[in-house]
Amino acid sequence: MQNISGKQLAAGGAVLALLVILPLVSSSFGQHVMIITFMFAMCGVAWNVMGGYAGMFSFGQVAFFGIGAYTSSFMVLTFHLSPWIGLVAGGVLSALLAALIGYPCSKLRGHYFAIASIAFAEIVRIVFNNWKTVGAAEGLTLPMVKESMAHFMFHSSKLPYYYIMLLFLLLAVAVCYWVSTSKMGYYFRAIKESHEIAEVLGVNVVRYRLFAIMISAFLTSMAGTFYAQYILYIDPESVMILAISVQIVLVAMLGGASTVLGPVVGAAILIPLSEYSRAWLGYKGTGADMILYGTLITIIAMYQPAGVWGAFNSRMRGGK
Amino acid sequence: MPPVRNRLEYSFMEQFVQQIVNGVLIGLVYSLLAIGLTLVWGVMNVLNFAHGDFLMLGMFLSYWLYTLAGIDPLFSIPINAVALFLLGMFIYRFIISKVMKGPGLAQLVVTFGISIFLSNVAALIWTPNFRSIEHTLLSGTWDISGIKLSIPKFVSSIGSILASFGVFWFLRNTRTGKAILAVEMDREAALIMGINTERINSLSFAIGSALVGVAGALLATYYYIYPFVGGTFGLVCFCIVALGGFGSIEGAFIAGILVGVVQTLGGYIFDPSYKLAIVFAMYLITVWIRPQGLKGW
Amino acid sequence: MRRALMVCMVFIVALSLCTGPALAEQKVIKIGALYPLTGNLAATGMDCKRGADLAVEIINGKFDLNLPFAKEEGIPGLGGAKIELIYADTKGDPKNGLAEAERLITQEHVVALIGAYQSAVTKTASQAAERLKIPFVCSDSSSPTLTERDFTYFFRVSPHDGTMARNQFEFLKDLEKQKGKKIKTVALIYENTEFGANVAKMQQQYAKEFGYEVVADIPYPANSSDVTSEVGKLISAKPDVVMHAAYITDAILFTKTFKEMNLVPQGFLNMAGYIESDYLPTVKADGDYFYVRSTFALDLAKKKPMVGQVAALYQKQYNIPMGENTARSFSAPFVLADAFNRAKSTEPEAVVKALLETNIPGDQIINPWKGIQFDPKSHQNIHASAMLVQILDQAYYTVWPFDAASRDLVWPFPAWKGRK
Repeated sequence: MQNISGKQLAAGGAVLALLVILPLVSSSFGQHVMIITFMFAMCGVAWNVMGGYAGMFSFGQVAFFGIGAYTSSFMVLTFHLSPWIGLVAGGVLSALLAALIGYPCSKLRGHYFAIASIAFAEIVRIVFNNWKTVGAAEGLTLPMVKESMAHFMFHSSKLPYYYIMLLFLLLAVAVCYWVSTSKMGYYFRAIKESHEIAEVLGVNVVRYRLFAIMISAFLTSMAGTFYAQYILYIDPESVMILAISVQIVLVAMLGGASTVLGPVVGAAILIPLSEYSRAWLGYKGTGADMILYGTLITIIAMYQPAGVWGAFNSRMRGGK
Repeated sequence: MPPVRNRLEYSFMEQFVQQIVNGVLIGLVYSLLAIGLTLVWGVMNVLNFAHGDFLMLGMFLSYWLYTLAGIDPLFSIPINAVALFLLGMFIYRFIISKVMKGPGLAQLVVTFGISIFLSNVAALIWTPNFRSIEHTLLSGTWDISGIKLSIPKFVSSIGSILASFGVFWFLRNTRTGKAILAVEMDREAALIMGINTERINSLSFAIGSALVGVAGALLATYYYIYPFVGGTFGLVCFCIVALGGFGSIEGAFIAGILVGVVQTLGGYIFDPSYKLAIVFAMYLITVWIRPQGLKGW
Repeated sequence: MRRALMVCMVFIVALSLCTGPALAEQKVIKIGALYPLTGNLAATGMDCKRGADLAVEIINGKFDLNLPFAKEEGIPGLGGAKIELIYADTKGDPKNGLAEAERLITQEHVVALIGAYQSAVTKTASQAAERLKIPFVCSDSSSPTLTERDFTYFFRVSPHDGTMARNQFEFLKDLEKQKGKKIKTVALIYENTEFGANVAKMQQQYAKEFGYEVVADIPYPANSSDVTSEVGKLISAKPDVVMHAAYITDAILFTKTFKEMNLVPQGFLNMAGYIESDYLPTVKADGDYFYVRSTFALDLAKKKPMVGQVAALYQKQYNIPMGENTARSFSAPFVLADAFNRAKSTEPEAVVKALLETNIPGDQIINPWKGIQFDPKSHQNIHASAMLVQILDQAYYTVWPFDAASRDLVWPFPAWKGRK
């Protein structure tokens, strides 16, 4: 992916143009599905920075997602600040916390890191669940105010949410592309292959691992703020549970870890699958949609263990 | 708000001892669950998300054997072990083995898919309703000078200890067991030594499942049974396995008891809503000092 | 590369276009119903679904019952139009509540919504309804915050946790005054979620107002695998009365642990999980003597024969006894049908106006209330309240208010030991 050819650029442009036009002709539920898809795609891309490139399999992304959601909502409710300020504040806070927790965890390998990330996210959830200042278990409800860009709130149409989320996703993809092609990306991959060799080569392992975690945390936190402004109600049960972390990892793995667009493809498969199957089959209460979902992801992973986009990518490259 | 006074000073010591007893009892059940998980994890490097759902199947199997054939859960232990052993082998052969060569964590996606599939199929076939087994051979409570000891929980922990030591003995004293340990330590070397690693994989997955089957029968004597019961135990088990050290049977056994005691005692002395946070904090501090867990290498 | 992108593009286009708008039929009035129909709370969601289904069947068909529109087919004010419920599964996730509410409104063209059991889901779903200006009649979520938002399109039939907490303390006062019992202290134990925390907040407030000392305030994580430390704390606190707020999983586990650790206060006042239709079949005789707050009990039939007829109908249809969740979701379709009938229209503005003028008399509902009338500002049913039922011989009996009691209550709680 280092050199983008003219053809690729044209194809990318075409997809982008399509994504800009598509919501204008789709139903409101269709828009919702795409918004949620972009949101998880963004989280997947962010996960990829630390999981796919730097080799830190995090199952605790939801902590950053939740902190993003809580920071902006808390600032809106308490200081009446625009969510856009909260968006940045949440990102910075998440990145700082990521560094704080990432430092002692930086010597942990593989599964030990994965479980440590779950432990961290669960502690964050439990603290928020008991912390009266941020609403504790009752959560925070954002009042419906007049729609405007400054309030980051839109009632009459989902389109503004859609385009904002699309921009967020493009930003995340751009950051990930930049990381993967920059010197930092090479260091990340060296660390992923072997700590020891990377260290011998003079890579400051701890520092670069922290960079990866912080970038990932910032982007995930942005998605969290978006969620809060979109749903307008958050509680630890809905923005800080392990299921969201797992969903993020699934999106990245299924699409193809360590490819820039893999998580986007993963989200484009998984999220519409679960949303539409729920809408079509869920009302019967048979669980048929979940059975279908479970079966399909098992089959996809069995036949495309490197991820859908990952497999596609390497086949294209092999063909040339 | 009116002042909330927790009258802890009252009969504090008695409850303190009681909580340690309770912690050990639930901890031993955790141990058994975690040993099955750590075996799979250690040998194949697979994080099995469907572990809790195997437990659910074990519990339902005991329930149906009791309801339809009148077999007490205690006697359904061997049936459970065999049934889950076969199921584990089947799932390994036809699903997991297909992704073992895949990169990264493709196995994880697969086990997650299996987990969703199993729990929802169970809800479809058996309805999402709750069940429990009444009047097993084991019911009631012993009162030992003020300390309450639930008989089903006590027997379950004895069963858990026996099963754990059984596995431990098997791994140390049989050819197959030693082969499993060899694969766990170094897969490539084991392969060169002529060990059929594919067979070992399938065997350890099956043994891990059988252990969960046993745990299912034991839990069925006092726990409620429903299709999503697996989720209640999943997270704690992951933490126990990591705390003990991946692949370490002794580690999982000790960590299970430790987590049980820390959880109940922490909940009693501090605040129950923080009890899991205390367990997770303990894990983080442990791996910070000793990155390979208590007994890992 | 380009082919890959083409495939991707086609995939996305196909998915977003495959949901065309459905044509709304004039003869059938579509109401959207949101419940957790799969996953953890599926058993509860299906209970709610059965209740709403039965209500619609009664409205649409001919039944000799003293319920609105039972005796004639359909809704007379709209030329005998029938109601159709369009269900959607929330899986108990607020995000899904929002999405499904919007989908039902914009794609299925429902004219009103009911649901959604969990307060957190109702919160986001009703927000969607408010945005799209569609009436939402809730009869099963109990968080007080829902009716504190002063929404235009949101109405609640059932009592909220504040009212129900107040009823619990009124019961304790009545016990002292009329039955000569001595009660001083209460312990609150609740799952630390939106539901439990709100209940506890209300109970703290009313304990102070009614003059009871709260000796323990114990939040715990929902769906724990072991609750012995929670019960240990209760034992140490030695309360006269234990008040427990939990969903069914914890209700079952706590019941077993209360027994195992021999906790015997004067009484247990419980809620929610203890009255699910699965609770008694699971714990059997161990559930005896607990008090549960409720808005329905089968023995209401003694005073209101119609309740017995409805319960018999339900039993015949689904082969399980009618319970609290079913009774709650049962009421919402009648409230809406009544509003459609008087408005002679399904236009949102007209329906909201009619809902505000709702006045269903007490003899036409299966709950023990004086009727259904909404507060003009909060849109909460002003007559809604809870009664207390006690589990005796593995069945629920009304024991409070005392004048509605069908059996004498058992107080204090009998020791676990001497029981069978």
